Amino acid sequence: MGMFDPLKGFGVTFSTMFKKVVTEEYPEIGAPAAARYHGRHQLNRHPDGLEKCVGCELCAWACPADAIFVEGGDNTEDERYSPGERYGMDYQINYLRCIGCGLCIEACPTRSLTMTNEYEIADDNRQDLIYTKEDLLAPLLPGMEQPPHPMRLGESEQDYYVDGPELAKRPGVPDPVGEEVK
Amino acid sequence: MTEPRKPAPVTPVLTKTWLSPRSWTLDTYTKLEGYTALPKALKASPEQLVQLVKDSGLRGRGGAGFPAGVKWSFMPPNEDKPHYLVINADEGEPGTCKDIPLMMADPHSLIEGCVIASYAMRAHHCFIYVRGEALHCIRRLNAAVREAYQAGYLGKNILDSGFDLDIVVHPGAGAYICGEETALLDSLEGRRGQPRLKPPFPAAAGLYAAPTTVNNVETIASVPFIVNGGSDWFREMGTEKSPGPKIYSISGHVEKPGQYEAPLGTTLRDLLELAGGMKDGIPLKFWTPGGSSTPMFTAEHLDVPLDFEGAAEAGSMLGTTAVQVFNETVSVPWAVMKWTQFYKHESCGKCTPCREGTYWLTQILERMVAGNGTEADIDTLLDVCDNVLGRSFCALGDGAVSPITSGIQYFRDEFLALCDKQKAAPALAGAQA
Amino acid sequence: MTAVQEPKKLEVPEGHVTLVIDDVEVVAPKGELIIRTAERLGIVIPRFCDHPLLDPAGACRQCLVEVEMGGRPMPKPQASCTMTVADGMVVRTQRTSKVADKAQQGVMELLLINHPLDCPICDKGGECPLQNQALAHGRADSRFVDVKRTFPKPINVSTQVLLDRERCVLCQRCTRFSAQIAGDPFIELLERGADQQVGTEATSEITALNKTSEGKEFASYFSGNTIQICPVGALTSAQYRFRSRPFDLVSTPSVCEHCSSGCAERTDWRRGKVQRKLAGNDPEVNEEWICDKGRFAFRYATAADRITRPLVRDKATGELVESSWTEALRMAADGLATARDAKGAGVLTGGRLTVEDAYAYAKFARIALRTNDIDFRARAHSDEELSFLASSVVGTTPENGVTFTAIENAPAVLTVAFEPEEEAPIVFLRLRKAARKNNTAVFHIGQWTTTSVTKTSASLLACQPGGEAAAIEGLATHAPDVVEALRKNGAVIVFGERAAQVPGLFSALTKLSAETGAKLAWIPRRAGERGALEAGALPTLLPGGHPVTDAAARAEIERAWGVDEGTLPAEPGRDTSAILAAASNGKLSGLVVGGVDPNDLPDPALAREALETLSGNGFIVSLELRRSAVHDYAHVVLPIAPSVEKAGSYLNWEGRRREFGTTLEGTGALPDGRVLDTLAVEMDVDLFTQTPASAAGDFARLPSVNDSSANGSRPSMLEVPAAQVPSSLGGPSALLATWRQLLDNGSMQDDEPALAGTARPVVARVSESTARALGLNGTATVSTARGSITLPVVHADLPDGVVWLPADSGDSTVRATLGAGHGDIVTLARGEAS
Repeated sequence: MGMFDPLKGFGVTFSTMFKKVVTEEYPEIGAPAAARYHGRHQLNRHPDGLEKCVGCELCAWACPADAIFVEGGDNTEDERYSPGERYGMDYQINYLRCIGCGLCIEACPTRSLTMTNEYEIADDNRQDLIYTKEDLLAPLLPGMEQPPHPMRLGESEQDYYVDGPELAKRPGVPDPVGEEVK
Repeated sequence: MTEPRKPAPVTPVLTKTWLSPRSWTLDTYTKLEGYTALPKALKASPEQLVQLVKDSGLRGRGGAGFPAGVKWSFMPPNEDKPHYLVINADEGEPGTCKDIPLMMADPHSLIEGCVIASYAMRAHHCFIYVRGEALHCIRRLNAAVREAYQAGYLGKNILDSGFDLDIVVHPGAGAYICGEETALLDSLEGRRGQPRLKPPFPAAAGLYAAPTTVNNVETIASVPFIVNGGSDWFREMGTEKSPGPKIYSISGHVEKPGQYEAPLGTTLRDLLELAGGMKDGIPLKFWTPGGSSTPMFTAEHLDVPLDFEGAAEAGSMLGTTAVQVFNETVSVPWAVMKWTQFYKHESCGKCTPCREGTYWLTQILERMVAGNGTEADIDTLLDVCDNVLGRSFCALGDGAVSPITSGIQYFRDEFLALCDKQKAAPALAGAQA
Repeated sequence: MTAVQEPKKLEVPEGHVTLVIDDVEVVAPKGELIIRTAERLGIVIPRFCDHPLLDPAGACRQCLVEVEMGGRPMPKPQASCTMTVADGMVVRTQRTSKVADKAQQGVMELLLINHPLDCPICDKGGECPLQNQALAHGRADSRFVDVKRTFPKPINVSTQVLLDRERCVLCQRCTRFSAQIAGDPFIELLERGADQQVGTEATSEITALNKTSEGKEFASYFSGNTIQICPVGALTSAQYRFRSRPFDLVSTPSVCEHCSSGCAERTDWRRGKVQRKLAGNDPEVNEEWICDKGRFAFRYATAADRITRPLVRDKATGELVESSWTEALRMAADGLATARDAKGAGVLTGGRLTVEDAYAYAKFARIALRTNDIDFRARAHSDEELSFLASSVVGTTPENGVTFTAIENAPAVLTVAFEPEEEAPIVFLRLRKAARKNNTAVFHIGQWTTTSVTKTSASLLACQPGGEAAAIEGLATHAPDVVEALRKNGAVIVFGERAAQVPGLFSALTKLSAETGAKLAWIPRRAGERGALEAGALPTLLPGGHPVTDAAARAEIERAWGVDEGTLPAEPGRDTSAILAAASNGKLSGLVVGGVDPNDLPDPALAREALETLSGNGFIVSLELRRSAVHDYAHVVLPIAPSVEKAGSYLNWEGRRREFGTTLEGTGALPDGRVLDTLAVEMDVDLFTQTPASAAGDFARLPSVNDSSANGSRPSMLEVPAAQVPSSLGGPSALLATWRQLLDNGSMQDDEPALAGTARPVVARVSESTARALGLNGTATVSTARGSITLPVVHADLPDGVVWLPADSGDSTVRATLGAGHGDIVTLARGEAS
């Protein structure tokens, strides 16, 4: 060990003082996650506010941690939550189990289930970590209407799935996405 | 007649009396040797009659060409259950028009044949299942049956022989599939006309689960002439394996379309000559030897002998000898599309290949004819045809694909020409409207 | 397969043939279909229309294989579901034949071109034969780029069954099931070609012209089976629609708790809730079918009025209040002990117990209450019936009695006082199969040509209600051909619970059986009756079937139970009616009731009076699942478990043990046996019925009438003369014929609106001439001194002066309203215009 070796050590400290700080000032300053971070799930809506979820349970099937529970329901003319016959009557994700793998959103046939970047899902009790449909549904954007309500984009679910994107651009039909982008 | 390959004359046997005044009446029929075979037949034993028909080599005129005598001999000798004779007069094959003219012009030869055949098979009920659309024909047949009853040729104790027979003329309800014998029986029983599972064959359990023989009109109408003329006379006409005369119904682009009775084995070249040649001299492009269910022929096949063996050897079938002649003005894909639309409309729906196959084939052909086809569509057509041919429940599926496969075989270029528009931009797999 | 490894040839038994499937030599019975032979070899050929219990159709063409006969290959691939095996046949399936594989892939592709891609919202998704086989035998991608055939989304074939025509692959399984198995051909194929579809009158365009089979809506007691055998999601049930997915369900084998057939079922559940029931496969019993009641009626167990906590009557308020088990059992034990020591206590068990629970009741009555006053018959009953059960039914097993198979193979079957389709639907299916396949001659002694009669091609021997016994006695003179048919080896006489309402019928049947050699089969309506009989829940029989008067049997049971000699009462006890009469007369102080509805009893008024009396001066303990009629009178109510929450076994009418395990574990609900065991402990008695298994073990140690070693013999049959029925009733008097319909007001069908919609219409039936004589047009009112029932009138071929009412359907609650039963005299009049 040489005579100046202790000073060398200080040299490292000293030089670091001029480098960019890597510490995240969390939670005082929020730290955005990476663009494709697997955060909290969201159940999306059609442009008129109807739910995209059809209650097919494929997400529950795909889930390796058995964190999702879904039960389907039958839409009626008086009480409609999604276009077509079937909707997700009960939807629960247990974030104590969820491992954020994203297999569920790959399984979703209607692009109803997607993941947001939100990662603040810690809590101090188990009950609140089971998110239900109310917690997971996407917020109503301008032009959307809280279901149940009749199909606004067309006569049948075909209009939603096949022609939906086109129909949504028609004059008179609200274009929530477009408005948000503007 | 005996020398082959020579322009054969017509051999009017069944059609002999057609041009006589009021040929359909009993009066005319009896004047022209009608009901002379019946007393002879009733004197013979049923076994002798079956043997006579076997010896004559008469083959079924409905399309399959099964030897009639052999078919009759399948009927059980005992009479534990009633025996039935059913006449298949549900003539619906596109291009075929021989049974209906026969029943219009000469219904009594059919009735006389029915009595002889019923006697030979120990049947006391005979049903004539006539295509429902042929209303005029049904009326004429009913009138003839009434006349025959009055004259004692039908009913109890026919001609004092102790033999009883009742004939019922039953109009169909307009389904091509009811020309298939088991579907015909279902329809006759009052059910939906769909082919039955075989075995049991009709000879064991047919109409009302009793022994039944189903024969074509022309087959049965030939029987009185065989009884009168003998089997050797019958064998003088036609070829070794396909003896006898046959009514060729020639339609399409010829000068004189119509029914021409000629010995089996006559070529199209001869028939065209009889029919006055191609209409307006426009050359022949393609033709069917026996209705649209039989693979088409082209001008190359003018000298194919039109008997059961000759047609098969050349890659088609004799079918019902419905010769449809098309000249060069006709687009093959268009004609094939029309035929396929027919089969799609007439498929009974029982089995998957025929029901779904014709549905798909029609859509592809319609798309191609509209100019939106691709080369891949031709391969798809051929592959779907391969998946239907021999996979369907009855022969309807086989018949439905034969115009397509033969059409592509001989006229692939015409199909390819329809795809030109799409060559630049092939359809994306899975892209749907 | 080399010669070295297999030197000897396969042995070919008589009636068998040898063939080669995929290079494996196999011996198969003549007449077997290739598809089944292959299956036995473990070669699965894909199929849709094929079903082992339906006649072959050959419609879907999915099962094509290559066949070589006598060295010559057949020109076309053959449907293996329609072709039978033959000697020397060589079969190549998709595993060894390119042609077969291509054919199967081609058919699969064709099936899929018009099949919608709505698997995510289809109930069949995850357990769909089309999905599975498309993955196994289909092409990886579709070449179909054209337009699919579409139909409007589902149509209701009935209130329960929905039909989605887009998904249908037209395999005809449902229509063939309806026509062949159930005999309810109300769904039919319509249209043709690609437009072909399954439909009903509502979807048919030709209804006005053709009313043959499309004329009515799909009203069948067996419609649920069409849903189960549908190979795609075309038929779905309103009940299970979108409820869950197969991969998220736990399947537990179970036994149906409704009728006495004891059908094997599969109960699918998740999260502690039963989602659906499916038919299990038991060739000996229900084959692969169950009735709609067994399939759809299960939500009664989760009804809102389900009792989960013990209730005791608050002395101050007189109201039932929730209490702890300890307190409730203490109160019940004290009350029952007091009652026992006063004038005694009786036990009414109801007819829906498992063998183990019935045994617990029987043992509880004998050693805790020290009485023989116990009866499971919560319905009309008679001493004659009791005597018949003791002499001819108890102890019979499938080995020595009549079975489903025996019915199927019988040369002749006589049904008396029994409506197969309404009372035991699976017996009806077997009877129909027997008539269809084996030409069994079926005779039915009843009142009119019911659907059971027509669908089993039976000959109706009409008699007046109550005149069945006389009809049996008159068979030899009036219908010697029937007696002759019954003499044939294997003939069977079947009768049901209604026989107890016809005096002399059991005697007459016993005589007829002795005379002809035909075997007798008693088919009760409820699932628990046969087991309760065996378990000794009767005033005259000990558990195991020995009479209570048999001292040796008593002593042996006392030893087995470890109780003092002489503990078991030696005198026969009172039956249901006598218990209730004694209670209302103050001759009985206590009552233990398990699942009895007073309205099922011969005299509901008497039952209510008895309960009223005891609720004031006596003591009533009620063991119930849901709030029952006894509830309002009981001093203590103890909750018990429904069949899905407990284990146990039923004894079906054949005497066959139908064991089942607990489906829903850990719900905390206790079976009757466990409740009684703890109650007995409170009364210082040990029943050893803590669990169904221990109860079964305890029961098995007792002497049974079936043991050859058992001393004592069966009691002989009580002779009762046949009832004489008035030949003609004057004026408005009429004889009442009545029995229960399968789907009716029964409390175990509660909470099932879709199922209730398929019940048969509630109508009164009379003959045309009676209707004319009494001027009954439109409606009829049937009345007794107690009350009246007004129903629409339908004409049927009943004897004159007879009116038929459904016993407990809609407003037609015969016992409750009229206080009358089968064979009683009622007044028949024109109904008030409503």
